[in-house]
Amino acid sequence: MSEFHDDYPQYEKMAGHDEDYGKKARRTLWNVFWIMLVITIFELAIGSMAPGHGWTGALWLKVLFITLTIVKAAAIVMWFMHLGHEVTFFKYIILLPYLTFICYCIFICLNEGTYSSLPRNKTTVDKLLVQQQVDLRAHRGHGGGEEHAAGAEQGAEHH
Amino acid sequence: MSHSAEIDQKEAWSGGQSPFKVSYGKMFMWFFLISDALTFGGLLSSYGFIRHKYSEVWPHAENVFTHFPFIHQHVPLAYVGLMTFILIMSSVTMVLAVEAGQRMNKRGVLIWMFWTIIGGLMFVGSQAWEWYHFIVGTDHGALRHVWDPAVGHYVEKTIYGANMVVNEYGVPQFANYFFFITGFHGTHVFSGVVINFVIFLNALFGTYERRGHYEMVEKVGLYWHFVDLVWVFVFTFFYLL
Repeated sequence: MSEFHDDYPQYEKMAGHDEDYGKKARRTLWNVFWIMLVITIFELAIGSMAPGHGWTGALWLKVLFITLTIVKAAAIVMWFMHLGHEVTFFKYIILLPYLTFICYCIFICLNEGTYSSLPRNKTTVDKLLVQQQVDLRAHRGHGGGEEHAAGAEQGAEHH
Repeated sequence: MSHSAEIDQKEAWSGGQSPFKVSYGKMFMWFFLISDALTFGGLLSSYGFIRHKYSEVWPHAENVFTHFPFIHQHVPLAYVGLMTFILIMSSVTMVLAVEAGQRMNKRGVLIWMFWTIIGGLMFVGSQAWEWYHFIVGTDHGALRHVWDPAVGHYVEKTIYGANMVVNEYGVPQFANYFFFITGFHGTHVFSGVVINFVIFLNALFGTYERRGHYEMVEKVGLYWHFVDLVWVFVFTFFYLL
């Protein structure tokens, strides 16, 4: 027997479901779908309300969106991809190395991103572009946009 | 679900049993998805870094993605909301195909795979439409300093739409990352549609019925859900935040 063929009938027998099990499984899947749909509609509602209320770029909004994204991602991995049904050890083999790498990436983003946005490390940005963003943010009633953009211009002049 | 007694020793891995109670193919699909997820993780991290660096001049999504078919108004987020709905929906039809396969229900597999393929094509089409409007841009455009080789210095010029060098929305990196990450994701969706179609044909011709199981549907299902998973993050980081 070749080690590289994927014809393993016995594994499917392990998951060979009957009609009753199927009914239950389908109900779970549709529930997951409805939850994900509600989350997405909620995100879109908040997202389209944000400019009018001056929420754009607020920290609580970022935290909220990222949390909801992680909830959706977990639902996909656990129920749609059935990782929740796999052997515990296999679950961790898949998740732990990846999460470790992502934590490292987030650390690098925060660390280096903060360093590179120090005034002395600013890169020159087209002044017309800076002005466009200042106008857009002022027009949309974006809280604090003007002073931020003015800071960018200052940074640009530094070079 | 695990009746390990049913495993025929001759059919198991060379070690005499299946590690972690998953088949060879499924396990390596997971390993492939991890490597693919690392690529996307790297791309999104570098996007986050550049966006953080240029946060003062990074355009807001609601000022960029405002088009919707047949509506001549600014409707921010609506179109990408529709795209997200299509992709989540096709993920559900995929998992229902997997579920039908586990009950050896050929008709169910075919129906749900069909809708998954339709959903995938709709998503790819929507993305093409989105790219078209991103590249063509608005009627008013925006003023930029661009290098003119004829005069040898920067001149003011109205820019419409986006390319890899300059765009009317914000810093050039904004368009670069948009093209690269959504393009890379779109390539995944397209290849997913092709693979789904091949599996659909196999199921149609009874290959899996003869084989005695529909595990291939489960494996391509993993890939398809992964594409949906990546979109969830792309949606948040490009359109919501």
